[in-house]
Amino acid sequence: MPESITLALAAAVLAPMAAALVVGARVLLAGSLPGERFVRTVMGWGLSLSALGAVATLALWRGWLGPAVSGDIEYGSWLRIGSYVIPAVARVDDLAVALSMLGAWLTWLVARFSGTYLHKEPGFTRFFVLLGFFAAGVQLVAYAGALDLFFAGWELIGISSALFIGFFHERDEPMRSSVRAFATYRLCDAGFLMAMVSVHEVLGSTRFTVLGLANTLPVWETTTIAALFFVAAMGKSALLPFSGWLPRAMEGPTPSSALFYGGISVHMGLFLLLRIWPMLDAAPAVELAGVIIGSATAVYAAAVARIHPDAKGALAHATLAQVGLIAAEICLGLTTLAMVHIASHAMLRVFQYLRAPNAIHDAHRLGHAPHPVHAEGVLPSRFEARSYLAALHRLRLEDRLDALVAPVVWLARGLDWLDVRLRQALSTERDAR
Amino acid sequence: MTAHWGVALAVLAIAVLVLWAPRVARRTDGGADHAVIHTALLVIALFTDTGPAALVAMAVSGGFHASTAWRVAPTAALGFGLSAASTGIAALALWWGDGVTAFVASLLAVALRAGLVPFHAGVARLCERAPWLQSQQLATLVGLGVAHLRFVDQVPLAFQWSAVVVMYGAAMTLIPALMALVQRDLRGFYRSASMMHGGMIVAAIGAAGRGHSTVALMVLVTIAMAMGGLGLMLEALEERVGPVTLDGRGGRVQAFPRLAAAFLVFGGAGVAMPGTAGFIADDLLLHALWEESVSATLTVILGSAILAVATLMTYSKVFLGRAVPSLAPDLGTRERWVAVLLVFVLVWLGIVPATLLEPADPFLRALGDPAAH
Repeated sequence: MPESITLALAAAVLAPMAAALVVGARVLLAGSLPGERFVRTVMGWGLSLSALGAVATLALWRGWLGPAVSGDIEYGSWLRIGSYVIPAVARVDDLAVALSMLGAWLTWLVARFSGTYLHKEPGFTRFFVLLGFFAAGVQLVAYAGALDLFFAGWELIGISSALFIGFFHERDEPMRSSVRAFATYRLCDAGFLMAMVSVHEVLGSTRFTVLGLANTLPVWETTTIAALFFVAAMGKSALLPFSGWLPRAMEGPTPSSALFYGGISVHMGLFLLLRIWPMLDAAPAVELAGVIIGSATAVYAAAVARIHPDAKGALAHATLAQVGLIAAEICLGLTTLAMVHIASHAMLRVFQYLRAPNAIHDAHRLGHAPHPVHAEGVLPSRFEARSYLAALHRLRLEDRLDALVAPVVWLARGLDWLDVRLRQALSTERDAR
Repeated sequence: MTAHWGVALAVLAIAVLVLWAPRVARRTDGGADHAVIHTALLVIALFTDTGPAALVAMAVSGGFHASTAWRVAPTAALGFGLSAASTGIAALALWWGDGVTAFVASLLAVALRAGLVPFHAGVARLCERAPWLQSQQLATLVGLGVAHLRFVDQVPLAFQWSAVVVMYGAAMTLIPALMALVQRDLRGFYRSASMMHGGMIVAAIGAAGRGHSTVALMVLVTIAMAMGGLGLMLEALEERVGPVTLDGRGGRVQAFPRLAAAFLVFGGAGVAMPGTAGFIADDLLLHALWEESVSATLTVILGSAILAVATLMTYSKVFLGRAVPSLAPDLGTRERWVAVLLVFVLVWLGIVPATLLEPADPFLRALGDPAAH
């Protein structure tokens, strides 16, 4: 039933986007900001339709409503210029359906929770508009049948994530964290863009189906392209050395932290690796690097989680430890296990994050349970002390990255200084006054 | 003929929207005559089938911009005057059949109007002194760019120089993007962002030399709308709060939520935000640049990423932070409608880019075919 699947997919992807646009247009056009009830109703409809679209797609894919539908669902072309085509194609398979269901229902639940949690919060409307864009981004990533569409969803997730981190913008720290996370995303996304254009040039299309031909390419090409994709995944999933933004991301409201850094967004890099699996599989060097980076991230994050002084920060690192493990699983070829791991981990973490404020409250009221110490004295005491310090300072990752960025800022200042002189020299005397 | 008129009408509608936006939003008494004249000149440039006529129309338009700019930014006036003269030379050369001179002169005119480093002194000064005029000149830059693509870009030199123009344009996206990171006032950010987009326009024009005219058209209209809209929002904000520095957090989002939202959308469209025309323009440009040079592609990607970070930093410094009350109102009705119309077209072309590009492509492609002449 091609019409049904077309409608179901369209509802899953477009309904939250349309709802966010309706609320956004109301903000821009009307004389006053919309009330909470209006926002909750419109966004509720959008997210519910999206969740129903995801369920309908699952039913159609499983064959519960007739012959099973899977593979590429064609919507024609998004754009066709001569021989260059951006295909409007959705891909319905186990990966897509799993992520879509996970994303749609977790977003719906978090939206329900936030309606009460953020009641009378000044940024109520902003929160829900961003949630709509995020939900559309997740569905687009889940069902994208081509890299261009995937990247559109990927970017929507990145932008909404950065704006959520800076949600409480009255304080300076969330804003800095927001810019830092966004900078990490965008710079790592350079890898995605280069890989996407490369795939188009060497395989003739950006459809995911053509990645099956990756093993026909020279090894250096598959290694380069897979490495570029992996860089993008490292940024989005906070793998080492780009882990510094994740604990800072906890500055956002608890529901968005739950959804983004417990549930969906932090797993997006891993989903990308699963989606481009044929390319990754044809690049053993990148797989090996992925296993090493994933394992190192897991060890690092597990160590930091054990000594982190605040609940959300500890949770963030506990999440990161699992994310690192999943990355290693994918690079070892355990893709089915990885998808199961992603889904179960996302659900657990969303619950834990949403419960974090209550857990803190309970700890204050009931007192802290003594923390059992395992395997004390197994490792040399000097090594233990050094590990403790390294975890406490989080390997000074941020300082090291800042040191790398500092010359770029000096260069920017120098260029600006030169530009001012050049323009002064080129300006008319009257203008220079 | 029908295809040409359809494309010309669509481009004209976008250019007129950007051209008239400052006039409608600002409700200024003067400037209507010039907007009418520019509209008429755009009609000639876009609808005529005669190359010299199109270029002469754009030369006259550049001259009018120069005369308007003279009062507020003489350096910009000189830049536009040079651009107008260069366009006039291109028209004469085309009339005489000297395609090479026409190409060089027209490319120089585009570079001067786009604000390509080091021809950017005029545009930079205009961004600092009169962003509304920069918005208007971006509208007619679309006309100049289309005239270049239609009538001048078919000479063999365009193909031969393509690599150099692409590389240079791409390099000049990265330098202003870096400069945008360290600006201390809002107009400085707008200036740097405009210069960065000047590099993108020239890189796209360079790629057009290898048959990517449709990509160049998309880049031109997108930048005109995004940067035109951003300039309008900048001016709207400064009319309310005076000059805006980026020293601390401005905390203006509660006083001006619509202005902040529109600023974010226009800024986002300029750095390839999905759902806006900027995403499509960037995507197409990268694919086109790749055919010419991998390093140019990487440079533009990095330039765009850095400008995106600078845009978010600027937005957060201007609008976010502890709320600062203001007696000034948010966007007025006329400003709001102008912003909504621009946002609508940006989003429309981001979601359904085929509306403009699929009719434009065969038309622009046929121009490159000698059999079409």
